[in-house]
Amino acid sequence: MTRYLASRFVGMLIVMAIVATIVFFITRLAPGDPAAIMLGDQATAADIAKLRASYGLDKPLPVQFVYWLGELVQGNLGQSIFLQRPVTQALIERAEPTLFLTLFSIIIATAIGVPCGIIAAVWRGTATDQVFSGFAMLGASIPSFWFGLILMQIFAVGLGWFPVAGYGDPGVPLGERLHHLVLPSIVLGVVNSALILRFTRASMLDVLGDDHIRTARAKGLSEAQVILHHALRNALIPVITVLGLTFALLIGGAIVTETVFGLPGVGNLVVSAVLRRDYPVIQGALLVIAGLYVLINLAIDLLYLAVDPRVKY
Amino acid sequence: MIRAAVPTDRSPGARPLHAALAALLLAVAAAMLPYASGIALAAPARGGAANLAMIGEPQTLDPMASTADLVSIIMQHVYEPLYTFDGNWNVAPMLAESLPAISKDGLVYTIPLRKGVKFHDGKEMTSDDVVASLKRWMEMAPRGKAVAKEIKSLEARGPGTVVITLNRPYAPLLAHFALPSGFAVIMAKDSIATPLTQFVGTGPYMFKERKPDQYVQLVRFDGYSARSEPPNGYAGKREALLDELRFVPVPNANTRVEGSLSGQYHFADLLPVESFSRVDGKPNVKAMLTAPFGFPYLVLNTKQGPLANIALRQAVQIALNDADMMAAGFGDPKFFSVEGNHYAKGTPFYSMAGTENYGRGDAKKAAAMVAAAKYDGTPIKILTSQAYEFHYRIALVMAENLKAAGFKVDMQVVDWATLIQRRNEPPLWDIYITHSAVLPEPTLTPPQLGDGAPGWWSSPAKKAALDAFDAETDSAKRGPLWGKVQEVVYTEVPYIRVGSFNSVTARSAKLDGYVVMPYPFFWNTGLSK
Repeated sequence: MTRYLASRFVGMLIVMAIVATIVFFITRLAPGDPAAIMLGDQATAADIAKLRASYGLDKPLPVQFVYWLGELVQGNLGQSIFLQRPVTQALIERAEPTLFLTLFSIIIATAIGVPCGIIAAVWRGTATDQVFSGFAMLGASIPSFWFGLILMQIFAVGLGWFPVAGYGDPGVPLGERLHHLVLPSIVLGVVNSALILRFTRASMLDVLGDDHIRTARAKGLSEAQVILHHALRNALIPVITVLGLTFALLIGGAIVTETVFGLPGVGNLVVSAVLRRDYPVIQGALLVIAGLYVLINLAIDLLYLAVDPRVKY
Repeated sequence: MIRAAVPTDRSPGARPLHAALAALLLAVAAAMLPYASGIALAAPARGGAANLAMIGEPQTLDPMASTADLVSIIMQHVYEPLYTFDGNWNVAPMLAESLPAISKDGLVYTIPLRKGVKFHDGKEMTSDDVVASLKRWMEMAPRGKAVAKEIKSLEARGPGTVVITLNRPYAPLLAHFALPSGFAVIMAKDSIATPLTQFVGTGPYMFKERKPDQYVQLVRFDGYSARSEPPNGYAGKREALLDELRFVPVPNANTRVEGSLSGQYHFADLLPVESFSRVDGKPNVKAMLTAPFGFPYLVLNTKQGPLANIALRQAVQIALNDADMMAAGFGDPKFFSVEGNHYAKGTPFYSMAGTENYGRGDAKKAAAMVAAAKYDGTPIKILTSQAYEFHYRIALVMAENLKAAGFKVDMQVVDWATLIQRRNEPPLWDIYITHSAVLPEPTLTPPQLGDGAPGWWSSPAKKAALDAFDAETDSAKRGPLWGKVQEVVYTEVPYIRVGSFNSVTARSAKLDGYVVMPYPFFWNTGLSK
């Protein structure tokens, strides 16, 4: 186990080094310039050059890269050009809406996806299955910006139950801020439940055909016990994988949903940073997201141990 | 353009006695109206906080450091200029006591400052602050730098007067001080730094907090010293009725629409024109049209590539069907107008000079011109972006017009950041598309009328026409002189003004006293209960 963890850790370091290199050069190779954007439409070339120099952007790329890596090793993600604060601080500020949004969406997605998947598998081929599978297709194919606008029109504009967008006025309590997350969580929950439903259904179908299920039924166990205790537990591994990946995707920022609902989350931060060419933020955020992704993958692998005693590392 | 203050809505069910009393007061007030300044009657309520949905996050909060409109819209509440515009786009004093005394030769401007004007840190504004601020503006802001070339000296004469000496008569000077883009605001001298970290101005609102992508929060400045004249455009008395202004970045235009419909936003800037009918006529929201608001224009590369040849630029102009381009860009004719004159009929700068070459869409004639100019078939590189949907749609029509005239076209659709970088490189483009606000003083925009802007237009005819225009301070003579400049633009085709478009904004029915101006402002506005 220790050896397994050690090798995973080394692998992680390699992945992160590759990510850091790619992220750095891809962002710099894209045309566009933060100084030109900050100075506005009518700035002169000389002004832009001056501002570039003040951020060290005039130095050769390899020099900038080495400097950035040096800071990175010391745990410093750098300073945002645009926000005039450290990237780490910017990320921490944006973590709250994204974390809660991810959590709520995963809860909603699981609450819809897993039970519906089980029902669709148990009543395979029936009208119930058709309805649930149809829902999954629909959920997977609805564009989230459209679904978001529809929910907004009905529940925020029409009924006035929720705010349209944003993350609360200055200084509002947490409860009020979370109120702003309800509609976006429903959007992400429904859209992401589709995949979980499909996986649960497929995995359950596999397991329901196994010998041990027949044995369990032969023992005279109730159908509920057979499905929930014997089948579901064995069917969980692929479902956990999908849940983990969904979680990792959402934590990296649900870009479209955050933009539509004007949430100041990580996704919004990354998109704005790209549009403004705020290199340190793009690099720092992508690196942190990649790191989280790798860690979540590791967590999923370790979770298999708990779910399935046959798994050994 | 000025919108009268709207009386506040009152809740129904007020008791009859109160209603009668109110009616009586109203009648008395109405009778007195001709004698009053007109603002006392419907003064909006005091207090409350307004959520103002803006198109994005401001690039910076330093109004001199950026020419972006968004920066000016927010920071004009914090900082004030020496001069500003009234509702008819005349220059009017703001921090200056009155219009300057100008020497007979038009070279020396003596500007008296208002006394007792306090900065947000409590100190009184003096000529030192004004000189330091204007110097910073002339070093930093693109327009400031252009103006600096005209200025021989700028000095304080005692604490209450500033004297500016020019190299030659330069009529647009005060308009440059007044224009909110790349704004010549007056800052407290001690706060001046680059980058700016404290925002100490004289405006009716003070900076409180900025949370990027969430809000910029401004609060009332209780020590504000207002002018005594009645409000008129940006000029006259300013009063912070709202306790707090929150400029909220809402980059998604549909979200701005929904947010105004739901009442979450008290004001929403630049809505998609398609949403006009959805917002218009709703009881809780007012859709507002600013006409004209701006103009899309095509910049032609006069320095390098096929269009460095003036004959080919003229062919491009003849080939373009501006009406089709505007229709593609803005749809309903309610939202745009197609006119060759750069300034509308009735304004001082209205002229039809050169407009016979506008809006022709004559592929046949253009093709003949292309052939005569010995076009070698090098593709015309059109640089456009989808950051503004109408830029892209206009570019599509333009490309077809050019192809019909025998040009080869290379459409390059890039993001906005890429476009504003690439346009500085002469080899990378032949035509790019952008837009500008319609501004009162012709030389304020587009930047191609100045020196060094992308397109690099420079010619003896340009210099002669613009020098004559800039030097004339008599406003009656400036109109015809602008006509000469317009004619040169149509002859040398450094840029093509496609038409004018209107903007749609929305405000809550509760937001009283709002006056429609291109750079929206929120002093003198209040929220009814």
